[in-house]
Amino acid sequence: MASLEPTQNKTWDLSLYELQRKPQEIITDSTEIAVSPRSLHSELMCPICLDMLKKTMTTKECLHRFCSDCIVTALRSGNKECPTCRKKLVSKRSLRADPNFDLLISKIYPSREEYEASQEKIMAKFNPTQSQKALVNSINEGIKLQSQNRPQRFRTNKGGGGGPAGGGGGGGGGNNSGGVGAANATRAGANAVHAHDTASNDSNSNTNGNDREQRDAPQATAVGATPGPTAAAPATPMTPSTPTAATSAGTSGASTSSSRMQVDDASNPPSVRSTPSPVPSNSSSTKPKRAMSVMTSERSEESESDSQMDCRTEGDSNIDTEGEGNGELGINDEIELVFKPHPTEMSADNQLIRALKDNCIRYIKTTANATVDHLSKYLAIRLTLDLGADLPEACRLLNFCIYVAPQPQQLVILNGNQTLHQVNDKFWKVNKPMEMYYSWKKT
Amino acid sequence: MAQNISPEQSGAGGSSKHNDDSLPIKDNHAVSKRLHKELMNLMMANEKGISAFPDGENIFKWVGTIAGPINTVYSSQTYRLSLDFPNSYPYAAPVVKFLTPCFHPNVDLQGAICLDILKDKWSALYDVRTILLSIQSLLGEPNNESPLNAQAAMMWNDQNEYKKYLDAFYEKHKDT
Repeated sequence: MASLEPTQNKTWDLSLYELQRKPQEIITDSTEIAVSPRSLHSELMCPICLDMLKKTMTTKECLHRFCSDCIVTALRSGNKECPTCRKKLVSKRSLRADPNFDLLISKIYPSREEYEASQEKIMAKFNPTQSQKALVNSINEGIKLQSQNRPQRFRTNKGGGGGPAGGGGGGGGGNNSGGVGAANATRAGANAVHAHDTASNDSNSNTNGNDREQRDAPQATAVGATPGPTAAAPATPMTPSTPTAATSAGTSGASTSSSRMQVDDASNPPSVRSTPSPVPSNSSSTKPKRAMSVMTSERSEESESDSQMDCRTEGDSNIDTEGEGNGELGINDEIELVFKPHPTEMSADNQLIRALKDNCIRYIKTTANATVDHLSKYLAIRLTLDLGADLPEACRLLNFCIYVAPQPQQLVILNGNQTLHQVNDKFWKVNKPMEMYYSWKKT
Repeated sequence: MAQNISPEQSGAGGSSKHNDDSLPIKDNHAVSKRLHKELMNLMMANEKGISAFPDGENIFKWVGTIAGPINTVYSSQTYRLSLDFPNSYPYAAPVVKFLTPCFHPNVDLQGAICLDILKDKWSALYDVRTILLSIQSLLGEPNNESPLNAQAAMMWNDQNEYKKYLDAFYEKHKDT
């Protein structure tokens, strides 16, 4: 092989790297090489719209690729240079269409149009004019529906899957069970950003994680369509924010709702069931859906066992510390929290505590990359929703301080930027749900 | 160096030397789609020292935080910033302002930032993450040639004195 470096003196010396490297062996048997959809996507992505390249244009000089529409708009609106490397681009004539690349993409993603259409549909539901009120309504609706479905789900939980429970068939959110409200809520939530049952951050990254899933799902099929074990690959490296997200790889809006609901349950173990809030065993509701999902990868199975574990965990309110201790506590890990009122600042005669009564202890399961700030935002929204009209006027727009107690009686106030992962590492080394305390300040 | 152009000069719209109206405005849908993607990437990346999240239900308004870069007079400080995305994003830069008072040669007392990539050096490839990282590094490496805050620029050379002034400044603005 000739040196790839531009050599001045036309000799074909090998570089040090080329001398050292072992030649890659040609694959002659049926070995498959798995490429994660994420890394694949980053290669096929337009850096301007962050979508898959469409009508690819390549800059003639520096060979950077963009969607035709994107680069044309960029040239018209900005500096006449390559957005990626600032090389001079005089006009459209410095670009060249790259149909081969488009062909390549259509080979890898034959179902692209279908996938885009479904994406469009989902995005259309993110109507930017949705108000907070609509969000609250849809959450309430979801909660109501979920509580109606509660007994049914319990049975399913015991039965271990299948059954009539849960989000029902893969209809795009228009199905008959608790899925509806939650699905709406999720949509509104992603837009309105304040989400209800996990820390606002997480629900959002969940939603996004799901978006990701949804976009990845067709890819999974696509890659899987080229023979064999590749199919296993797509799920694994996708690090969605929760394992739950990974389970609901279905392409419908309902899958968003189901994984969302699952997160919901975790936050409400039996002891706080008096809140009109989602129930455990929802995780089982994702099962039928998962069976229907396009993914039949190892990861799906793995996550299935994850969610089974969730059921168990919810049952005996143990913590599920999967991934912890082996240095793999990554961004897709979850942390369970018990939120209690601050023992001194939030005593029983506190206005808020009186309003909350025995709902003042919250159980939350969320991703480890949520920050303390997100938690306090979540608390504010969640408590506001729960209390509704009962909320004392003075408590509106609550501003929470969050503490952790590494030792009993010793409360440490937490900085808002810390992620739960950091807090967990720093203060909470024991293998049980992290306990945090909240107090609110009037501002 | 084009770095320090007064923000007034380049128009309040926040776009680089072009007027927002003249830009082919892609529909809001495409813009919010990109912002959603950025949000997701940001969540996944879990970048140290910076964070950002939409402020309320409007995806076009975000609040970001940056930690003062270490080994600078700004270390140990945390700054909140607002990011306002125009309809022509990402072809035009968002308007970025410090919400936390920031005493810095290239930041005025209203929080406006003078940074080339937010003005004429904007590229559609910049995103929330790179903007925040750029501002973070601007904190430690101001451009004193064309300051917005002349006092800060003059004081910058004496870092000890600067740090002292900074501490007093934050003491004064503690409640804001």
